[in-house]
Amino acid sequence: MGRIYDWIDRRFGIKPPHKNFLQRPVPQNLSYFYCLGGIAFTLYLAVLLTGMLLSFYYVPSEKEAFQSVVRITREVHFGALIRGLHKWSANLLILFVMLHTVRVFAQRAYRPPRELNWVAGTFILVLAFASGFTGYLLPWDQKAYWATVVGTGMAATVPFIGNHLLYLVRGGPEVDGATLVRFYSIHVIWIPLVTSLLLWAHFHMVKRQGISGGL
Amino acid sequence: MGRFYQDTRRRFLKRLVKGGFTLLASLFGITAAGFLYPSEVKKRTTKFFYLLNEDDLPKEGVKKMELAYEHEQRAMVLRVFVVCNAGETFALSSVCSHLGCLVDWSRSKKRFLCPCHGGSYDIEGRVLSGPPPLPLTRIPLKMEGEKVFAGVKV
Ligand code: HEM
Ligand code: FES
Repeated sequence: MGRIYDWIDRRFGIKPPHKNFLQRPVPQNLSYFYCLGGIAFTLYLAVLLTGMLLSFYYVPSEKEAFQSVVRITREVHFGALIRGLHKWSANLLILFVMLHTVRVFAQRAYRPPRELNWVAGTFILVLAFASGFTGYLLPWDQKAYWATVVGTGMAATVPFIGNHLLYLVRGGPEVDGATLVRFYSIHVIWIPLVTSLLLWAHFHMVKRQGISGGL
Repeated sequence: MGRFYQDTRRRFLKRLVKGGFTLLASLFGITAAGFLYPSEVKKRTTKFFYLLNEDDLPKEGVKKMELAYEHEQRAMVLRVFVVCNAGETFALSSVCSHLGCLVDWSRSKKRFLCPCHGGSYDIEGRVLSGPPPLPLTRIPLKMEGEKVFAGVKV
């Protein structure tokens, strides 16, 4: 294992520039609150991996979506487990991202030079919510359907352009197959892609700026 | 005190973390492989479908047919050859036994020719040249009254 990794890294060179970073002493005044971001990231990885597995069986079509989810739960080996992991990790991810945000806010770790990382974090937070919202529709059962009818319906309350917004979100006046495919694409392609890039930027800035000393 | 214990402690913790991750990754890998493996692999059985009427059987030579049938609500078409040679009537699948291209009957060469890698078979489906390892598959035929049915593995 180590030898193979070293062989690759002699050519790839990811280790030497990170040596100082990885082996620096941890600041004295850290507490477990500083683990919240790391926990969120671990959950993000769990959501990503289990989601990539679910995509092998999930069928994003009006006619087959519900049945495919039933099949995952009842027939596919470990299907209920993988689906459960995806669901729980996703919910816990939202929770821990929020706790992490509270930590950063409470310790005023958003102050210069970390403003940009706060902004990046805000986008990540919104994307995490959006991921939860779009993912909720995918089982295509009654609960999912009506939750999305209500949720997207709020767009219509925006003054003047509300209806156009609604059509944009739903892909039509009603929640139907077009909405499902739209949400599917956002849920499995756009959000993971953009979130992963943002997280890379997030960690890059943590690395460059170091962790703030708390209050 | 100091160094020695710190070093062994460090090494121990490193191994613990590495071992933990390796265990976790392996568990996930096994679960993922199980998840991806199909939960039911159907046993294929031979089913008979209407092919043509007795009157339309060739008296001599090769007749190309499209056997149309339905399988799990999907319309399927299988190209088959109905052959009458030396008084014997039988049907051959057109699927080449090499890599599965569809062979065609050449009237002038009196052979089944595969377009892909030059495989050829005689009128009985026996390999004459090229890479095919096996003769063309015989398709069982069944008569019921005037009608001829062909057996397909579905
Ligand atoms: C998937 C979501 C997120 C992940 C995985 C994540 C991960 C991390 C990690 C691992 C750190 C290092 C320090 C720590 O763990 O506390 C960090 C720092 C930071 N995060 Fe996040 N984060 C996420 C979302 C957010 C959000 C929503 C915000 C705020 C709107 C935010 C703002 C910050 C800031 C400003 C820092 C630097 C804090 C400091 O230097 O003390 N992050 N993040
Ligand atoms: S597939 Fe027919 S010769 Fe290769």
